[in-house]
Amino acid sequence: MAESRRPRVAALALAVGLVLADSSVVVLALPEIYRELDTSVSGVTWVLVSFNLVIALAAVPAALLARRAGPGRTAAVGLAVFAGAGLACGLADELSTLIVARCVQALGGAAAVTAALELLPATVGSERRAATVWAAAGATGAALGPAVGGLLTELVSWQSIFLLQVPVALAAAVPILAVARHEAATRVIEEEVRSTGRPHLWANLALAMVSAAIAAALFLLVLLLIEGWRLSPIEAAVVVSAMPLAAILGSRLTERAGDARSRAAAGAILVGGGLAGLAFLPKATIALTLPPQVLVGVGLALVLSALTETALHGRSPQAIHGGWTISSRHAGVVIGLLALTPVFTADIDQQRHDAIDAGTAVILDSPINPLLKIDLAEKVSGQLEKERGKVPTIDPAFEPKPSGEPERSEVDQLQGELQDQLDRGATHAFSTSFVLAALLALIALFPIALSRRVDL
Amino acid sequence: MSERTGNLSGKLLILGSIVAALVLVGAYLAAGGSSYEPEKVQDPCQPRPWSNPQTLGQLANQFTISALDGAACQLGVTREVLARALATPQGRERFKRRYGIDDEKLARAIRAGLVRAVDDAEEAGALSPLIAVPLRETVQRIPLEQAIELINDAESFLGDVDGFLGPAGDLLEEFLP
Repeated sequence: MAESRRPRVAALALAVGLVLADSSVVVLALPEIYRELDTSVSGVTWVLVSFNLVIALAAVPAALLARRAGPGRTAAVGLAVFAGAGLACGLADELSTLIVARCVQALGGAAAVTAALELLPATVGSERRAATVWAAAGATGAALGPAVGGLLTELVSWQSIFLLQVPVALAAAVPILAVARHEAATRVIEEEVRSTGRPHLWANLALAMVSAAIAAALFLLVLLLIEGWRLSPIEAAVVVSAMPLAAILGSRLTERAGDARSRAAAGAILVGGGLAGLAFLPKATIALTLPPQVLVGVGLALVLSALTETALHGRSPQAIHGGWTISSRHAGVVIGLLALTPVFTADIDQQRHDAIDAGTAVILDSPINPLLKIDLAEKVSGQLEKERGKVPTIDPAFEPKPSGEPERSEVDQLQGELQDQLDRGATHAFSTSFVLAALLALIALFPIALSRRVDL
Repeated sequence: MSERTGNLSGKLLILGSIVAALVLVGAYLAAGGSSYEPEKVQDPCQPRPWSNPQTLGQLANQFTISALDGAACQLGVTREVLARALATPQGRERFKRRYGIDDEKLARAIRAGLVRAVDDAEEAGALSPLIAVPLRETVQRIPLEQAIELINDAESFLGDVDGFLGPAGDLLEEFLP
């Protein structure tokens, strides 16, 4: 590759990685956002859903715009819009403002990502190489997103995730501006748009299902770690880093193993197996989340790259077919979140009811003074009621602690027993959703089996 | 890569994925991954065994539990729901609205619960019949507010029975464990 093209390739890969990371970067910040903006799990889900929904709807029209107005201009304007909306997200002090800004950000992002795929073949020399760079940048961004988001949330604030995107997006736009300046509008004629051919139905359908499963996996695991097991965002970021690390390992396998359909099938099976593992965690222990995460990570690297390459293989123009893959992936994310959020919020609610009764029973059966225990039972149930729609925590109910012994140690022991009940209950509350997500990944095997065998 | 080699490595990859997924899920299920059951609350109408209380505090604890069980059984709610309702006046009002219970019905249920507590204590040998009989008579006539206070603070009641039983209290205190 010519030296002069390297900054442009890096800028295009950065743009793709940045935008696709944005669909998952806020996952670890969601608990912080719903606490700060005083909303519920269902409400805060829309910070993710809105972005993914708009990208799903806008990706193909954005690809057409890139062909019509010129990919350099489209990418540069898209990145500028993405940066401006990112600034608005960072300054938002209400959920509605944040969601609107996320929609605008998605519009800019869709333009940048699809236009990048149009620019890449000329920059890297071939459509196949362009598809590989584009898919790898997207997968890296999506995999690293949650960990980076978690670090920023813990070290700075959730707002910093969006504010940091502003200079990064503008930096990616600079080398692309040079292309835009020399670009004459290609003025795509209607026939050309019509002759792009149909999208690869089965590969895109499988992409949607697998993306639904993966999005649910990330979202549910993060909520379980932060809200269920009370890890800090930075601790949760370290834990969920197992997934991208395994994905890097999985991408090595991609280079060596079988045809695209086999890789896609193996990946879907691993994602499904990993999610089923998360559904049946024997204990509320971080170490036990690691083997399932490794399976999901290796699986996602195999299945996403294989399906993206299959969907783009032999299809031109790539920007439009890339638009379809982006649309499918993000539609899948939306379906996964919208389908599973009501399931696990209902399960959390049921678990809260069980926890209130079980907690009161544990307190009543404890050896502490009856006067203190009745008061404590009321405070604990009040605290659990207050956490409606969220995974419950009981610490505030135990403050202030009795000053004298042995009452203080009896209360400490009681708090430990109750917390154990809640931890196991919270873990169980996510089981059905993880099982459903695993089923989504396994259902993807049908369109994979139906897809045309493509040796890449 | 030849087509044959590609097919073979593809099949091995799928087979390996199936084995990895089954091993993980099997191991987690074998380790009790699907065995979680939320703690069940006990039916308040079923007898709850008394241990042998050694101190006034332990006696008060078991007395409270028996009284709550008896009252909850009478009202058709769980002991846990009733305990939360009796903790504060606001809780009691919410409880009455939710279950359509008036003060009279609540008072009857709590008195019945206190009688059951005295019965249980007597049956377990924690109260002598000499103190159980007048105590039973007393709690059957006790006003609602005092009955609730008695459940919430059984230790003070049992530690100061003469406040409730009059001059006979001094005599009866000797029969407390």
